Amino acid sequence: MAKAKVKFADVNVTVTVPVGTRIIEISEKVGSYIAYNCREGDCGQCMFAVVEGAQNLSKPSELERATLLQQYREIIDGWRSLDSAEAIAAAMKRDNLGGRECRLACQTQVFGDSVVAPL
Amino acid sequence: MSVAAAVTERIHWIGALDPGMRTFDVILKTPSGTTYNSYCVRGSEGVAIIDTVKLECADQFFARLQQFADYGEIRAIVLNHLEPDHSGCLPELLRRAPQAKLYVSESAQLMLKALVKQDGLAFVPVTTGDSVSLGDRTLRFLHTPYLHWPDTQCTYVPEERVLFSGDVFGCHFCDRRMFNDAVGDFRFAFEYYFHHIMRPFKRHVLDALALIEPLDLAAIAPSHGPILRDRPRDYVARYRELATPRLKRETDNGDRTLIVFYISSYGNTRRMAEAICDGAAEVPGLRLSLYDLEGSPVEPLVDLVEEADAILIGSPTINGDAVKPVWDLLSSFAGIHVKGKVAGAFGSFGWSGEAVRMIEDRLRGLKMRVPVAGVKVKLIPAREEILACRDFGRQVGEFLIGRQVTREIDFSELVSAA
Ligand SMILES: Cc1cc2nc3c(=O)[nH]c(=O)nc-3n(C[C@H](O)[C@H](O)[C@H](O)COP(=O)(O)O)c2cc1C
Ligand code: FES
Repeated sequence: MAKAKVKFADVNVTVTVPVGTRIIEISEKVGSYIAYNCREGDCGQCMFAVVEGAQNLSKPSELERATLLQQYREIIDGWRSLDSAEAIAAAMKRDNLGGRECRLACQTQVFGDSVVAPL
Repeated sequence: MSVAAAVTERIHWIGALDPGMRTFDVILKTPSGTTYNSYCVRGSEGVAIIDTVKLECADQFFARLQQFADYGEIRAIVLNHLEPDHSGCLPELLRRAPQAKLYVSESAQLMLKALVKQDGLAFVPVTTGDSVSLGDRTLRFLHTPYLHWPDTQCTYVPEERVLFSGDVFGCHFCDRRMFNDAVGDFRFAFEYYFHHIMRPFKRHVLDALALIEPLDLAAIAPSHGPILRDRPRDYVARYRELATPRLKRETDNGDRTLIVFYISSYGNTRRMAEAICDGAAEVPGLRLSLYDLEGSPVEPLVDLVEEADAILIGSPTINGDAVKPVWDLLSSFAGIHVKGKVAGAFGSFGWSGEAVRMIEDRLRGLKMRVPVAGVKVKLIPAREEILACRDFGRQVGEFLIGRQVTREIDFSELVSAA
């Protein structure tokens, strides 16, 4: 069976998995701090950042795209509602979306090597 | 019907008494019943209704409302919290006061649609900084989510110095004298309510207090139990005390806290626990504790877990399972915040050894992080197995202080070993 390597940058663990494995199936077992709620692409809780190898992951479905859009909006509105420059800078630093591609861990399948991390 | 009602000249209690209530939300005992508090705020240009009551008590609510306002005067309806005991009479109230605007917190929007199955229900989402004018009185909103649902908020009327706090500062206590200086001794109910409702959300409590503490307060009007007009600040201070981690308050040298729990019939799992502690002790910057689950009731241990950064749980396998004291401990975590804490499992077994795997699954189910696969030892731990335990303790410790080792593993190891 074809294999791929996924590295979870927050815990420094690289796992060799059969292609087609979903991120959620691996991340929970290695203790990566990607959180879950609905596990079916609805809530956006499991959004994570792709550090490398975005092209090696499954293409996002319509559902995933809609949830991601909603989640981006929430983050940005969250920033908007902060009332000091320091608080906004801190939130942006924490979420650090700049230049990163985000996906849902409960939806995304691994087809080739990649490096991922929680937001 | 005579119930103390005037919070101030402009604000009246129009809620409902439910003295017969004995169990609330499945998890709470209510030996003195409860009240559902809703309030009527009068401004020079209209009236606001803050929260409603549970549907079964609609008669009380509408009868009291009518004593203080006409439906045509109602300009604003505020729901500080959507749980049915506060939103139950909303549809009927909107039917009677169709001109009124409904205000809910931003995070309440989706929930509102799921709770009030009514097409075209119009509402205005509000957050901290937003306000609504009733002429010479103002409603100011504070976004205080997760107390104890995602949707919760507080509403403040600055001209009256009254805070409508929703379930925050509330308790289940039914006394028609309604004010904290007039009712019976409700201290137990207040503490009990915090412990069972707010405790898992302590961080959110602290966020909310940051918004509440600067307010000038003549009274706090919660959605259950007595209205706090006598020394309202004392209750705010008590919330801060209850929500602040004690360990960090008493001694904080920056150490990370790791607690090893175990239970053991022949001492095998205990030996493992000791070796794990020895291993973790090699990592600097850790505060380590070792507890035998047999030696204590669950509650104080849950208190420890609440403030710990990491926990490890050891159980032998008995009849194909981890033992009951372990499950008793784990099933008590619902009352505290454990998501994101580091955790792990270990244990001795005789032939099948299911316990470690089952504990790990449960820890993950609680959204704890299980960064190092648990250790299982067949019967009495041999020298090299003791070393494996030490390694396990050290690895967890290093993960905890952010000094993890780089690992490369195959998926099959995760599936079988975990
Ligand atoms: C009543 C009883 C039932 C047991 N059931 C199992 C079992 O189902 N599977 C297993 O692997 N070991 C089982 N064992 C063996 C224990 O797990 C083993 O003796 C272990 O080393 C005990 O560790 P401890 O000294 O830490 O309690 C059982 C032992 C007893 C006394
Ligand atoms: S867990 Fe809800 S979207 Fe993935």
